[in-house]
Amino acid sequence: MAEYFGTAVEDIFNTMEERFLSEGTLDVDVTIGYNISGEGGGNWKVTIKEGTLKVEDVDGEVTDCTAILNANAETFVGVTLGKLDAGEAFSSGNIKVDGDLTVLVAVLPKAFKPFKPVIKASAIVESVEERFRPEKAEGVDIKIGYDLSGDGGGQWTVVVKDQTCTLKEVLDDDCTVIMRMEAQVFVDLNQGKLDGGTAFSSGQVKVDGDIGAAGQSASLFEKYVAEGAAEEEGEELISLKCVPSINQRYATGPTMGKWFDGLKEKKFFASKCPQCGRTLVPPREICAQCRVRCNEFVEIGPDATVTLIDVVYYASPDPLTGKIRETPYTALFMVLDGVSRDESFAHDLNPKDIDRIKPGMKVRPVWAEKRTGSYKDLLYFEIAD
Amino acid sequence: MKRVAVCAVAQYKCDSNIWQKRFQGMLLDVLEDIQKQTGMHFSEEGGVRSIVSASDDVFDARTISDNGMTDVLGAHYREEEKMAQESLNALGYAMSIILSGHEDVVYVAGHCKESQGESRNVCTNLSYDPFYGRAMGLDYTNVAALQARAYMEKSGLTEEQMAKVVVRARQWAEKNPYANATEQVELGDVMYSPMLCDPIRTMHAYPVSDGAVVMLLASEERAHEFTDNPVWLTGFGSCMDSYFLGDRDLASNFALKNAAERAYKMAGVKDAKKEIDLVEVMDCYAYQQPMWLEGLGLCGDGEGAKFIDEEGPAKYNVNLSGGMLAGNPIMTSGLYRMAEAVLQLKGDAGERQAADVNRAIAQSTTGGAGQFHTVVVLEK
Repeated sequence: MAEYFGTAVEDIFNTMEERFLSEGTLDVDVTIGYNISGEGGGNWKVTIKEGTLKVEDVDGEVTDCTAILNANAETFVGVTLGKLDAGEAFSSGNIKVDGDLTVLVAVLPKAFKPFKPVIKASAIVESVEERFRPEKAEGVDIKIGYDLSGDGGGQWTVVVKDQTCTLKEVLDDDCTVIMRMEAQVFVDLNQGKLDGGTAFSSGQVKVDGDIGAAGQSASLFEKYVAEGAAEEEGEELISLKCVPSINQRYATGPTMGKWFDGLKEKKFFASKCPQCGRTLVPPREICAQCRVRCNEFVEIGPDATVTLIDVVYYASPDPLTGKIRETPYTALFMVLDGVSRDESFAHDLNPKDIDRIKPGMKVRPVWAEKRTGSYKDLLYFEIAD
Repeated sequence: MKRVAVCAVAQYKCDSNIWQKRFQGMLLDVLEDIQKQTGMHFSEEGGVRSIVSASDDVFDARTISDNGMTDVLGAHYREEEKMAQESLNALGYAMSIILSGHEDVVYVAGHCKESQGESRNVCTNLSYDPFYGRAMGLDYTNVAALQARAYMEKSGLTEEQMAKVVVRARQWAEKNPYANATEQVELGDVMYSPMLCDPIRTMHAYPVSDGAVVMLLASEERAHEFTDNPVWLTGFGSCMDSYFLGDRDLASNFALKNAAERAYKMAGVKDAKKEIDLVEVMDCYAYQQPMWLEGLGLCGDGEGAKFIDEEGPAKYNVNLSGGMLAGNPIMTSGLYRMAEAVLQLKGDAGERQAADVNRAIAQSTTGGAGQFHTVVVLEK
């Protein structure tokens, strides 16, 4: 079975039952389809209804769900484990969602505990060189053999000599000591879930050769710590989720008010400092540098020259609507025609121009048909050619 | 010891809905008023270099509420600090800047637009812990009602006495060009006004208000550059009570008594009853006026109610501005209290001018049911 980041796709679906949080989904009724392509992929249909869960491994592409997630196996596992950035996966198209995206964002976090990868015996053995403590191995010359049977098992030899440690994926004949056990027993011993003495006396661990060397070997290595294990050790505490909100009505005053009034008429106004002559865009009451009121307005624009470009690839909610924005989107910094110096103004760029936009280009505003004196009166700027 | 002078004060006329201005615009008006009164300027030679502002992130609905008005404040290229607390504490901060010798001229600015949010109670609800207090719906109004009930039990304060406080507040407010609620009322209007949260009635509560205040402080050496008639800041004290209501004796005036004691000690006031001529208290609700007067030591413990009938407020020139009951925004009330005390000491209080005022106190509070109190002593 193909693994990515040490985890197979089916591990994630197979553990859904035990990770399910029934009380978080009492008011939920959704079906989520997963079409996972590539090696180790497959098709699953997950039904969450009023506190119950059904996970089905289905044949062929899943259709007809509240939301369907399409991804390749590596991306899916990586995002699930937090090894890959979800926002990036969405914006790069490695994950595509058909249907209601908000289901994934709103339902999944409260329906499942996070997936924690299963710890495998091989991962513990294979990290032995990293965990080696040379300062403890002065004068030590031993070969420790591991013969682990069952699921996830294998045979290895750890050679410690001249304060170095080498791992071989074979069981040498001349080992100082060989420890034989089920792979799961080995994992439990390393996780502190099983006591070494008990495992030995109960026959779960068999030792061939120098028992003393087996005892000594423990001090030669740092304890194996699985990723995320530190969090697991902490007590699980309750957190409360809520969104504090207070409806606001911001005054624009006569100065910002002039700007928004102008937008209604497809016009841009700057306030002008009577002392230094600079224009303020959008207009403000006062020139901060000269400390004088700016009561005069001048019309500027509507065309502008681009100075800086900022292309945003991560998905974030639109602050005005709360809906997830289309990505990528662009914040354009530009100098409107007729300003005094280089006071730049920012707005969106027509998405069709993202590939072509460059500093120094001329752009023109595209206006909304219905204008009410708000940010949305301007749809965006676009390349003027 | 160094002395700190209040050179001038400027107040924005309070209103329940200043829809036509951003708070930046309100502040700019009062700041220009101060500049006109004093000649205070921002040039490098002799200009003001230090500013303390007071505002609240929740009421302004923006993070770091001072950063949207630094242009207006003149903070560009200068030192500006924000006090996220009731505004009278900004004054304490400015005072310490001068006493420490760090700067000689500091101005203090406070603003708040209660009308911007849909409900001020929702704003003050956010000051409670998210687990219990907020979930229960605690806010400054309904928490004050708990204190009102406790204080009525302790002092015997009656509906009629509370109504008397409100009627008197409106009478004085009518003479104050900066007050919000100036409509005259009778005892019955107050006593039968709709119940907000028992025992607090609509007319026992200060009206929703917007406003801004600026005042200029200077060291004794430099005060003469700005005024011929300075008022001296001689005492400052503040004290915090427990955050959790259950830990507090709501009728005890714990925080106010301590704040007053500290301010009096600094000013050398031994017996407030004999040495104070004028008082401005932040009475958000009618019951608070007698209760705070008690905390300030102007009458005995538990005697605030009786003090109303004995015309104590008239004797001590209490709230000749109309007080908080006549309407100031909650985070700026302390500076409005102080502005009135300064005008009275300067002899600039117009129709409200009291005779023979040599020493005055201004008090403010924030946190539900007077959790935190600040007291300032001012002298001619």
